[in-house]
Amino acid sequence: MSAVAAKPAAGSAMNPTAMAVGVVLLLILLGIAYYVYPAGLMPLVLIVVGGVLIGFGVHFVPVGGAPAAMGQAPGIATGVAMLAAGGGLAGLFGGAWAAAAGQDALVVVITGGIGGGLMMAITCMMVNFVYVFGMGIPAASGKVAKDPITGDSQAEYKSQGTEGHGLPFVSFVGGVIGGLFAGAGGTLIYLELLNVYQAALPAVMGITAAQVMPIAVSAAGMFAVGMFLVNAVLTAYNITGTIEGPHDPKFKRWPRSVVASAVASALCGLVAILIVAM
Amino acid sequence: MEHIVFGIGITALTGALATVAGSAEDTESNIGSQGDPNSQVQLAPQMGFLHRIFNKAVAGEPPAYGLWCALGAGLAWAFMAMQFNAVLAIVLGSVLAVFVQGVYATTAYVGRTASLSKFGQPVYVDILKSMTTVTMAHAFIAIFATVAICQLINGALGHPFPLPLLGLIWGIALGAAGSATGNPYYGKERQYQNQKFGAGVPISASGNIVRYAEAGERNSIDNGFFTHKIGGSASGICFGLIVFLELWRTVLFEQVAAGWGAIVVGVLIILVFTVVDRYIEVWARKNYGPYSEIKEASS
Amino acid sequence: MTVKVEVIEGGIPHNKIMIAGIVSTLVCLYLTYLNVLTSTEMFSFFGGLAVIAALIWGSHTIKVLCSYGIGTGVPSAGMIAFGSGVIAMLLATKFGILAPIVAAVLAAVIGIILGYVSNNILNMKIPTMVQSLTEMAVVGALTLMGFAALMTGGFTFAGLTTGHVTSLGMVLLTHQQSFLGGCLIAVAFLLGAIAIQHPFNACLGPGWKQDRMLVLTAECGFLSMLVAAVMSFALISTGSAIISLVIAIIGWAYTYKEYMVLSKRDAAAWLDAKPIPEVEGH
Repeated sequence: MSAVAAKPAAGSAMNPTAMAVGVVLLLILLGIAYYVYPAGLMPLVLIVVGGVLIGFGVHFVPVGGAPAAMGQAPGIATGVAMLAAGGGLAGLFGGAWAAAAGQDALVVVITGGIGGGLMMAITCMMVNFVYVFGMGIPAASGKVAKDPITGDSQAEYKSQGTEGHGLPFVSFVGGVIGGLFAGAGGTLIYLELLNVYQAALPAVMGITAAQVMPIAVSAAGMFAVGMFLVNAVLTAYNITGTIEGPHDPKFKRWPRSVVASAVASALCGLVAILIVAM
Repeated sequence: MEHIVFGIGITALTGALATVAGSAEDTESNIGSQGDPNSQVQLAPQMGFLHRIFNKAVAGEPPAYGLWCALGAGLAWAFMAMQFNAVLAIVLGSVLAVFVQGVYATTAYVGRTASLSKFGQPVYVDILKSMTTVTMAHAFIAIFATVAICQLINGALGHPFPLPLLGLIWGIALGAAGSATGNPYYGKERQYQNQKFGAGVPISASGNIVRYAEAGERNSIDNGFFTHKIGGSASGICFGLIVFLELWRTVLFEQVAAGWGAIVVGVLIILVFTVVDRYIEVWARKNYGPYSEIKEASS
Repeated sequence: MTVKVEVIEGGIPHNKIMIAGIVSTLVCLYLTYLNVLTSTEMFSFFGGLAVIAALIWGSHTIKVLCSYGIGTGVPSAGMIAFGSGVIAMLLATKFGILAPIVAAVLAAVIGIILGYVSNNILNMKIPTMVQSLTEMAVVGALTLMGFAALMTGGFTFAGLTTGHVTSLGMVLLTHQQSFLGGCLIAVAFLLGAIAIQHPFNACLGPGWKQDRMLVLTAECGFLSMLVAAVMSFALISTGSAIISLVIAIIGWAYTYKEYMVLSKRDAAAWLDAKPIPEVEGH
């Protein structure tokens, strides 16, 4: 896409002042939470951790965008935010079920992660399946000479005039890891909000804990989805749309995204927790 | 024990429904030409290749299907709250959701094509009239199956999320799985059928999609019929496996070792798929061979 | 490679649309408060009109933002708008009659911070990023509030979390059959997120015209209002829901017809069952 106004060379440069401002913002938000609703500080910290997991995890997912749909670039031919959302939400589904079954918090988060990783593993495998058996095209990366994990050479398996195609093994592993982190992060956000709401809403609304369950589950679920999308879109902005996986040079931009996700998650989490504090 | 047997029966049913949904979703998005391959349909007139393909630019498949399925589920929930029968509620909800989908499809085609007027691409009213109902029909199957899955998960298996939220989640997952699996097949294999088989499309050929078909000018129904065989089936298997395995490992192993059983089984399944993927990759390298000589220096 | 995004100047300036949008949205939201004053639910349809006003404003903001080539495509902007807006909206519902204004202010704060983060920490360096993200967060929050008002008759937290169920002839209060309990907010979320980005996405191209895009936004808004009115039958009285439904159907039919007329005006040709025109050299 051609831009109308020429952007000054942004690319992968990091802006130390802005990062520092971001960290300060994060601390201010945590401070506000502690001041207004002390019981909400620990959940907010964990929500920030969940958001960072999502933001960091989405960097692993191999997304090729429009060129991948033509076999011109490696990766999955879908938008990065929504592909990550698909994996992460499948994970959130599993995690919420485990939470309802009364499992331990660690088990719930890991279950969510496994759900996301499983969805990505099946999807990535089927992508390669279609490329190899449906179109007769082997997988090849355009960014590295040898696959970092398997050592397979890539250059001669790249068809002429393209940047690569399919999902080389490192991209597959990246996709699974991305699903794991995204699913775990989303489930962590959901779990913390659910605990806050279950604890505080009965008093705020004047009803019993059993009656508040549908409200708590729906609100926590909706906010988890909303924060998931915010973090995924911020990561999409960070990698400017497409990335081949953890071996891609763009992957080195992840520190920016960690700070950005932390600030965004702290902000949204604070507002979500204030619902029971005000 | 009976509880687990009931759960496994429901899981099998949802797996079958998910396979149908995935296949219908991919075929619908290929008939409507949605998502990343659609960028070629939009690019073609700019390069001088006018065509009669339906140009459905309604976001990508995950958010679009997230909306149709959440809408279908929300309407079904509302009808059930009004004491309608569950199956009737899901059917009515899906019908209204498909109506919304059809309207969005028509406005997208007309809008994008009108904005490409500079390149002389006409709006074909007969394409509008014949393709819209076909994509709506496929979307109905996908939406109905997905909302039915959500109702089974919520009603029969006891998931805490209410129906509309489940519709959102599985709608986005359906769109992501179907889009990931089916898009390259439609984009490369069908749109660029005139390029060499077994290689990606070179960048120099961008926009030169196939516009003249076996008998006359190609339209989107030809694309749907072709991609359904491999792309649609693969998407169906993909989404079916996702739903089935996710539910299966939870229903069977959730109570084993306080939840760790399901986690261990999940890890094992991921490892199985990793091995299968590696096998596919190595098989391709061995049987297809490289395109050129193995180079010493990196390119 | 996708369609080249070129900014076409002309038409009503963005700031005018923004001011008109925010004023009309807030006015329509407050008109739903007539429900409380008259103890009915008849004025819920103003919530739908608030949605349409907010969407018209929001789609133009997306046009301004995405003309700069953000690199990821238009639907993501809609998602981040509503992702940040939904949280602001729900907190604001706790403030009673001040809810719409609190929602706008709170969403603006969230949007400014997200805009700063995107522009400076993520180095996107787009001139209108901060203002656009702020506007979109406000649009997201107000659109969701409009949907809530349309479907439940009000915008207070109590109204969103309680509903009625008739059992054995008695009317019982329940939390499960409510806007939030049944998570209809998820449907409103996606309805708004797709409706806000669709007009720009669908009219994208060198032949973009502002009036066509804005009419399409109104059409998407009325369509969303239509299905939301159908869902509201479960939560508000049948008579009020029918009023919303009829207004939505009339509005949708009019804007859809108008959109087709404008598209016919702008298209290169409007053919019925004709072959592909011959172009030199292809």
